Amino acid sequence: MDVLISALSSLVQGFASLTWQTAIMVLLGCVLLYLGIARKFEPLLLVPIGFGVILGNLPLAGLSAYDEGGIINLLYTSGILTELFPCLLFLGLGAMIDFGPMLGNPRVLIFGAAGQFGIFLTLLLALQLGFARQEAVSIAIIGACDGPTAIYVTTKYARELLPAVSIAAYSYMSLVPIIQPPIMRALTTKKERAILMEPGEKKVSQRVKILFPLVTGIVTILIAPMGAPLMGMLMLGNFMRESGVLKRLVDVSESTLTNIVTLFLGLCIGASMLGGNFLRWQTILVFILGLIAIALDTVTGVLLGKLMRVITKGKINPLIGAAGTSAFPMSARVVQKEGQKANPRSFLLFHAIGANAGGQIGSVMAAAVMLAIMSGMGIKPLP
Amino acid sequence: MKDWAFGLTMTILGMGVTFITLYLLTLLIRLLIKLFPRKEEEESEG
Repeated sequence: MDVLISALSSLVQGFASLTWQTAIMVLLGCVLLYLGIARKFEPLLLVPIGFGVILGNLPLAGLSAYDEGGIINLLYTSGILTELFPCLLFLGLGAMIDFGPMLGNPRVLIFGAAGQFGIFLTLLLALQLGFARQEAVSIAIIGACDGPTAIYVTTKYARELLPAVSIAAYSYMSLVPIIQPPIMRALTTKKERAILMEPGEKKVSQRVKILFPLVTGIVTILIAPMGAPLMGMLMLGNFMRESGVLKRLVDVSESTLTNIVTLFLGLCIGASMLGGNFLRWQTILVFILGLIAIALDTVTGVLLGKLMRVITKGKINPLIGAAGTSAFPMSARVVQKEGQKANPRSFLLFHAIGANAGGQIGSVMAAAVMLAIMSGMGIKPLP
Repeated sequence: MKDWAFGLTMTILGMGVTFITLYLLTLLIRLLIKLFPRKEEEESEG
């Protein structure tokens, strides 16, 4: 009888260990699954994250990212803490991106810098709100509008914020079509939005396309070596793509490898969102600051667009500036849509894609520079 | 160093270096395009 009772008690241990935080987190996991499946918000990421949240929070399952010896802990320690997953995602991203539109019109590359200004303004704001320097940097990097970069930086400096930062970064990327248009309309007149830009793609030679990732990789890594893993992988992926002789590797990098890493990354992030470290007021602040960062990126991008319009005597549509964020290719699509609303003859996509590709380089560069400055100031990354 | 000084240093250096690097890259792209212009056969291939 005693054996039977102890066997039965072991079966109800899981229920007995449930807490209100567990219940909320499981519910949150279900909401993420709903958003991914029914609303199609970044399903490739939100579904693994949502399921990871549920698995990680179930008591006694040993499936949280912090349960030593568990399978998700194995993925977390070998893929997130080593920064392997963000770097592999950048390899895939490099293999996917066509820098051609940017190379055909190099001046749009500068929008990629303006699109990062929100990172630094948000850093100032986060510091004023009392976040530690390492935390403020990790929150501000949401403004890079780039999930892997946000994860890379946060893993180095503020791991306790990793779940909130990564969810905010990826959620806002998918919300770019909602966040950016009101700001773009508020900062520009209809006349400015209706400006027609030179149509058609200015093509460059294949040699330029091949040499660009090589030269960019060397120059940017020499300037900010701290960003070498991200920039190196991004440029390697693009070099493989443009070399034209590695089709099999490019196919694997841009599809299979990216998909597998996205699955593992989502699962790890979800399983690291435990009630204790996620249900805090800081999480709400991280989300608010992340939103501000992306909004400020758009503001500074459009303002630079307006300046460029004046400098080029009306040849540049200021909306292009909003594509300087690295939400690729969502921002470019938003620019195209807003341009066509103001002028049905307008076709800004080609130029916007160029600025958007510049934003991809700009966001990694901004992160690398931040890391370099932190290192120079003696602020060491976490071991 | 106080927090605001840290933040301002990061902002000025961060944005400055990012802008300069991307500007440098635009110059390098222009140089590459000059050194390796599109050939006629590439033009005909589209």
